[in-house]
Amino acid sequence: MDLMEYRAQGLFAKFGVPCNAGVVVDSLEELEAKQDELRYPLVIKAQVKIGGRGKAGGIKFADNFEEAKAAAEAILGMNIKGHIVKKLMLVEKKEIAREFYLSVMLDRGTKCPVFIFSPEGGMDIETLAKEQPEKIFKTVVTPGFGAKDYIANYFAAKAGLDKAQTKELAVVIKNLYKLFCDYHCLLCEINPLVLDPNGHIMALDGKVSIDDSAVVKLPDIAAPEAGENIEPLVKEAADFNFLYIPCDPEGDVAVVSNGSGMIMSCIDHIAKHGYKVRASLDLGGGATADRIKEAVRIILADPKIDTLFINIFGGITRCSEVALGIKGAIEEYGITSPIIVRFEGTNKEIALETIKPLTTVIYADGLISGVEELCKLKEGGNH
Amino acid sequence: MSILVDENTRLIIQGITGREGTFHCEQMLQYGTNVVAGVTPGKGGQEVLGVPVFNTVREAVEATGANASVIFVPAMHTAAGVYEALDAGIKTIMTIAEHVPVHDMMGVYHAARMKGARVIGPNSFGVISPGKSKAGFMAHRIFKPGHVGLMSRSATNCYETVFMMSNAGIGQSTCVGVGGDMIPGSTFTDILPLFEADPETKAIVMIGEIGGNEEELAAEYIKNHVTKPVIALIAGKNAPKGKSMGHAGAIVSADGTGSAENKEKALRAAGVHIAETTTHIVDILKSLNL
Repeated sequence: MDLMEYRAQGLFAKFGVPCNAGVVVDSLEELEAKQDELRYPLVIKAQVKIGGRGKAGGIKFADNFEEAKAAAEAILGMNIKGHIVKKLMLVEKKEIAREFYLSVMLDRGTKCPVFIFSPEGGMDIETLAKEQPEKIFKTVVTPGFGAKDYIANYFAAKAGLDKAQTKELAVVIKNLYKLFCDYHCLLCEINPLVLDPNGHIMALDGKVSIDDSAVVKLPDIAAPEAGENIEPLVKEAADFNFLYIPCDPEGDVAVVSNGSGMIMSCIDHIAKHGYKVRASLDLGGGATADRIKEAVRIILADPKIDTLFINIFGGITRCSEVALGIKGAIEEYGITSPIIVRFEGTNKEIALETIKPLTTVIYADGLISGVEELCKLKEGGNH
Repeated sequence: MSILVDENTRLIIQGITGREGTFHCEQMLQYGTNVVAGVTPGKGGQEVLGVPVFNTVREAVEATGANASVIFVPAMHTAAGVYEALDAGIKTIMTIAEHVPVHDMMGVYHAARMKGARVIGPNSFGVISPGKSKAGFMAHRIFKPGHVGLMSRSATNCYETVFMMSNAGIGQSTCVGVGGDMIPGSTFTDILPLFEADPETKAIVMIGEIGGNEEELAAEYIKNHVTKPVIALIAGKNAPKGKSMGHAGAIVSADGTGSAENKEKALRAAGVHIAETTTHIVDILKSLNL
């Protein structure tokens, strides 16, 4: 789960990482109400979970309240790569002497946290890694033993920091690491980390990504964010404990299965025949007929989806329940789109009896033949 | 022979009195697994399906000489369960739960190495050595004793492959559910030397998927240390970028790290047969004339 910048900054403040605290508003009225808290020159920043907001016009500057209001009006409601801006953060514009990059992330290769630093901050790290890899420095941390002073000493040497600045960097690193551990982060990134004209170090932007599996342990994070753009079908599926994944917006085929590995395999097979999967829905294990009925309804709710492939390899999931769910969806929700079904495993025979009378259901005895049936349907429809 | 679990496995079920623990205890007993004890704090002295229940893993080990454990406790308590088993001297530990926090697993991963133990999973179906023993929740009917060692990040893709293999008369020595998380207790590279050393295993099937670099690390190991034929399938080639595909670990970063292309390239360079589909795995296995 990626946090918006203002929440990341909130966590920085909580853990003693010096940052540029500001004012957060989600309407012009709120901006009016908070105008006495604004410090000029002011930066107005769109709060969206997508990079490149600066280029898209999501960051503006103001020297007085009139300018601030005009900037806020322009940014609120702006569409940045599909993300609608519903929240703004307004901070005092800081004088910057130097910009650095600092992050700590979970490294899947070493299974350890790794700190990444660059004396060249400001640009995104992927670009920097491509263009100037010699300017990126890393050090792996032994889990459970904390972030020691040598990390700051090493990075400070690369950036040519003096003794006092090195000490400040060490505090940032220690506190950022504590946040990383306590909040189960996959990534805590400060870009840029700046040195102000007085020689003090401060985080001017922040990105924090938290492990979805740990969010339940973090009550202050679990509460949904205002201004969050959750797709309605994703949310509806989640309410039934299904995982709905929007895939290719150009696709018109949908896949339902009882496991993410199988869903990926189905998408791969279908792609081989030149068709694109628009969305997939993972039933997880052990879904019952009444829930499956809803799954079929939800996946077919997108009018651009014209063909559905349900591929079940039943262990804990019983094929008979899936069949009853499909039957229920067709009868109760009047679903007319063709549904290709493949059953294997627990209660397959009972399931086959259930779907026999359903005229819009096409049975395929295997993953490959299921995809072949899908192709036949698509080709037929194109003639 | 086989790896990790076999007829000499004396298994503990941690969380045996829970719904899943009890259900799968019955399944494992039916399959012939030697389940010697269960552990649930506060339920010591009870019995589940004739299996004695203890309050702690240490008591269970003292009383029964158990040498392996499968952990059926909720995700938030999985790491604590693993540490308890490690501290009681258990060397083979299977973890099942989905949504174990990855920071918890980071600790477990390094602790297991410190103790010289093997942790399988989490987000895994466990381990089965067909005809001998199973520790986990896999639908065991589809497995068949034989000579192919299989390891998979995905349960459903493993089932699909095993089903086709068994139908084609190709059995398995051991099937390991490496699991779908970002940090598995044991990686492909940890399992490979076991299959390489197992005289019963004549070929190795590896079912990977997008995300992370375990397949690349495995390729490196295979190139230098594995003499048996290896067949790999990488799922998720056409999955959308930047989205976790249900398995927490199955995500391709914006910079392309974790892509199926990288993995297949590394594996091909290591002499691994790349299968396009599960059926293709069976075709390749047939052509090897094991």
